[in-house]
Amino acid sequence: MSEVYILGAGIHPFGRFDKTYEAIGSEAAAAALKDAGVAWRDIQAAYLSRMYLPATSGVRILRKLGSTDIPVVDIEAACASGGAALRQAVLAIKSGEVDLVLVCGVEKMPRGFMDPSMIYSPWQIELGMSLNPGYWSMRATRHMHDFGTTEEQIAKVAYKNHRNSVHNPNAMYRKEFSLEEILASPLVCDPIRRLEICAPNDGAAAVVVASERKMRELGAAGIRIAGVAHTIARYSADFRCPADSMSATADNEGPTQVTARQAYEKAGLGPEDVNCFEVQDTDAFCEIEIYEELGLCPLGEGGRLIDEGVTDIGGSHPVNMSGGLISKGEPVGASHLGQIVEIVSQLRGQSGPRQVEGARIGLAHVLGAGGNCAVTILQA
Amino acid sequence: MALDKAARKPIRDGLLAGALEDLDQVSLYGSHCPSCGETSLGANDVCPNCGGASVSRTPLSRSGTLWTYTVVRHKPPGNYQGPDPFKPFGLGLVELPDGIRVLSPIDAPPEQLRIGMPLQFHPYVLRTDEGGAEIVAFSFQPVA
Repeated sequence: MSEVYILGAGIHPFGRFDKTYEAIGSEAAAAALKDAGVAWRDIQAAYLSRMYLPATSGVRILRKLGSTDIPVVDIEAACASGGAALRQAVLAIKSGEVDLVLVCGVEKMPRGFMDPSMIYSPWQIELGMSLNPGYWSMRATRHMHDFGTTEEQIAKVAYKNHRNSVHNPNAMYRKEFSLEEILASPLVCDPIRRLEICAPNDGAAAVVVASERKMRELGAAGIRIAGVAHTIARYSADFRCPADSMSATADNEGPTQVTARQAYEKAGLGPEDVNCFEVQDTDAFCEIEIYEELGLCPLGEGGRLIDEGVTDIGGSHPVNMSGGLISKGEPVGASHLGQIVEIVSQLRGQSGPRQVEGARIGLAHVLGAGGNCAVTILQA
Repeated sequence: MALDKAARKPIRDGLLAGALEDLDQVSLYGSHCPSCGETSLGANDVCPNCGGASVSRTPLSRSGTLWTYTVVRHKPPGNYQGPDPFKPFGLGLVELPDGIRVLSPIDAPPEQLRIGMPLQFHPYVLRTDEGGAEIVAFSFQPVA
């Protein structure tokens, strides 16, 4: 089976734009094709990840690049949609049927809390169980109780990510906040505050992936996809929307642990080998838990990592160099591919002031509704 | 036309056990799986853990403890039926002795919420539907 390489990556900034999703998506796709140095007519299959867009969004977006008869398939797996789409592209190339595939993630979302009817049953909405941050917050409350994690440690994650975002022209918010400002911002769902959560918004990101044979034929130097994995949470392994209960006796590993292990095994690498990470910081607490579940530290010690600066740019395991979803916003279908664009830029040494010195291996992680989790490991 | 009390309905099919006209006798339904030992919420035909089809329905305990919680400080989006104007409220996972933690509004002043506090089941009439039936919902309350 062929190895699979990313030949080109492109992004439409994340933010709020007076523009159709077709325009936002096709701009990112065109940027990825240009970066790869290949033409749209040479692409043999395309996957379009989105959650809140209508049927046939992929066809509507990609037809703007010119007529085609290739399969264009929309993929939805909540916050992991982009990972699910990238995995389909990798499988298609490994099957030997195609050599050159476009993956594009797009979203255009209204301001404020997400439309609850997309995720929750009517009775949950009536009883007020339909606020996504409520679920993340309950995890934080329990972690603080079990391990002594503090509100200040949670705020430090937001501080780091907002600070990193200042150097990312594709982020929605590019403003540094002091720890005091973050801790003084209003509570949304205790203990999580407004400057500690991400906002839904608009954006797109795309990559062109190729077989090794195609890459050599084109004389290109790609970034290898060393591993890509997508799972959903095992029974009661994750309490995330729209769960209405969880077992008090089952003890399954969480989706991040399971997915990361699959990706590490495929890549033949471990967390100690990875030079930079982009992870799902839907809220600042979530990032602390992900440190633990990706294996950067033992369970319960995530708070110590942020205290010690381990995950700062310049630390031994930099996380969310791009500013994370907290500052970029989360255009759900585009978010994982946005992380991939950041990692590709890091591994090429093109990240300017937010560059991780000498980065050779990077990992991208997303996690969301239904316990959908995806992890991709890239190697220069 | 007088309201027929038997016309009460649970907010979700299969969620509540017991005759709804006597709310003191109502509890949450669980489904116990003899194959894997798990108890799931509601009247299920299949065990959501192991897929076993021989589950038996059992009323869940009306008493539990708070396992974790948050305080919802913004009005939830969509068809929220809570107080108008909106008041911040507790939302938590209540651990029952049946081996399950149930997501529920916690009917207590937010500043009193503590992990481990004892709670009791509180079914109540939330609203009347278009056909005149009273819709029964639930919360948990501190033990008086």
